Amino acid sequence: MPPPGAISPSYIYACTRFRVRRTTLLPREDYLRIMGMSIPEIVTYLGRRDYYGQEIVDLAHDFAGAQLIEEAVNRNLAQSFRHAMAIAPGDLRTLTGEYLNRWDIANVMAILRGTVHDVPRRQVRDLLIPAGEIDGALLTRLLDFTTCEEILEALQDWRLYPILAEYYRICGEQGAFARIENELYRQYYAGLLDLGASGCSGCQELNAYLRFEIDITNMRNLLRLHCAEEACDVRVIDQTMIPGGRIPIDLFRRLYGIETEGEFVSAFLATDIAPVLAQAVRELRQDPNISSFDAAELIWQRWHQRRRPVHEIERGVTRIRLHQLESLSRRHPFSVLPVLAYLERKKYEIANLRAIARGKAFGLPSERIWQYIVL
Amino acid sequence: MPVDDIKPTRSGLLLVKRRMALAERIHRLLKMKLDGMMLELVKLTEQTARERRMLEEQYSRAREMVAVAAMMEGATGVLLAALSVETSPAYTAGHRNVFGVRLPELEPVMVKKTLDQRGYGILGTSSVIDDAADAYEDLLEAIIASAELEGGVKRLLDDIERTRRRVNALEFRIIPDLEETRRFIEDRRDEMERQEWTRLRRIKKIKAKRAGRL
Repeated sequence: MPPPGAISPSYIYACTRFRVRRTTLLPREDYLRIMGMSIPEIVTYLGRRDYYGQEIVDLAHDFAGAQLIEEAVNRNLAQSFRHAMAIAPGDLRTLTGEYLNRWDIANVMAILRGTVHDVPRRQVRDLLIPAGEIDGALLTRLLDFTTCEEILEALQDWRLYPILAEYYRICGEQGAFARIENELYRQYYAGLLDLGASGCSGCQELNAYLRFEIDITNMRNLLRLHCAEEACDVRVIDQTMIPGGRIPIDLFRRLYGIETEGEFVSAFLATDIAPVLAQAVRELRQDPNISSFDAAELIWQRWHQRRRPVHEIERGVTRIRLHQLESLSRRHPFSVLPVLAYLERKKYEIANLRAIARGKAFGLPSERIWQYIVL
Repeated sequence: MPVDDIKPTRSGLLLVKRRMALAERIHRLLKMKLDGMMLELVKLTEQTARERRMLEEQYSRAREMVAVAAMMEGATGVLLAALSVETSPAYTAGHRNVFGVRLPELEPVMVKKTLDQRGYGILGTSSVIDDAADAYEDLLEAIIASAELEGGVKRLLDDIERTRRRVNALEFRIIPDLEETRRFIEDRRDEMERQEWTRLRRIKKIKAKRAGRL
């Protein structure tokens, strides 16, 4: 065991491997090249690449076009994440597992919903991405069950099982799955934050990153709740806001009730979101004069008109978050940050390829598709 | 009683006249109904065309929204959200009466839903899913509104066609036939009157001749 303060060799080895893996991700030039291609050309291009070639070949007889690309990149994502779990040692493995729980939540919820609503098993199977801790074999076994009880029993070893067990009594009730799903995600972030508080190398920075992500998610969801025709009560805000961010839930509760511009803008400017949002809008509109105040005004306009966030700006904020994570991972090269940076970058590489394929399939112009690309 | 069976008598003539008055009144009423229905059709057609244009716009918007949702969340994410739907949208069918025509009235049920009613978790999805769901709910409402109006136009057209056939039958067949019968009876009765008058004159002459001989 290495002495306290010293970094273990396995850590250095794993972090170096993750850094090397990050260099294999698609660079900006490749995206520009792909943007100029048609869907069959993209399939051919990905088929020739080391990382997607096998998936394309395996799935080519079942799918075609944009669907083939999406299925292939999803499968590649699952494989890459499973590989990441395999090479991460100790704390890094725990963190990776915790991070990948997001996919487990999506898979488990899809299976539960499919079982209760009697959706054909094959259709549910096509929706699963076994990128989390729950492997493909267990997912297949879960698909064979016909009741919620059996599924829950088989999931007893899953780290989020206590939440499922607690909410099981309302399984099948109207709106129950949404509540269970929200609670699972809240617990997911709580687990990640707990792990970040364990004092590992780079954990402090990781927590700061996560807390900012929580703030952004909460703000976005508050805008979504505010868009609804009927006002929601405080209980709904409590159920849908993720605790642990830098902005206290109380502020979100207060923001929800504000209907005057001055009050809203001053409350919003007090958060850390305003400068990042301003930067995202500056980059999107290519206007260097946009200030935090302008960004707050923009949010107020959407808020006042009960409209949802602009998706392109959401993507812009994601770009900035990733950029920050990248800088942090360079500053702490042998910590959890390079792992997280790789996992996040890989996730967005998949999202980018999917966005290009889907955008082209729907005939959207290249400039529009480019706004959704996170580089 | 068919027109052919009517006897050329006074009561026959009265019957024909009564029938003609009735036919003319029906003809006038049906023509008024036809005009009213035509006006309603014009109004309804304009509204239907407007609704149809709106439906096409909603369809393009819904397709664009689902394209953006598929780009950001993937088809898998969109399908997962779709899988969460717990209550299927429906409609209730009723009718309203316009000039005796039963026009359909469709009322959407659980088409526009709140975030709670949609069934997916807020934390597991993003706002693109809300936008796509909103766009498709609007599209579904536009489809129902369009179906109601187009169904109304179709029924109104059917009834206009039927009424026009009735009006034409009255105008070009029944009323001319009755007119002809009336004229025939009147001619017959005039003829009979003339015959009677001639016979009476002849009898009078015979009687006068017989009286002179005596």
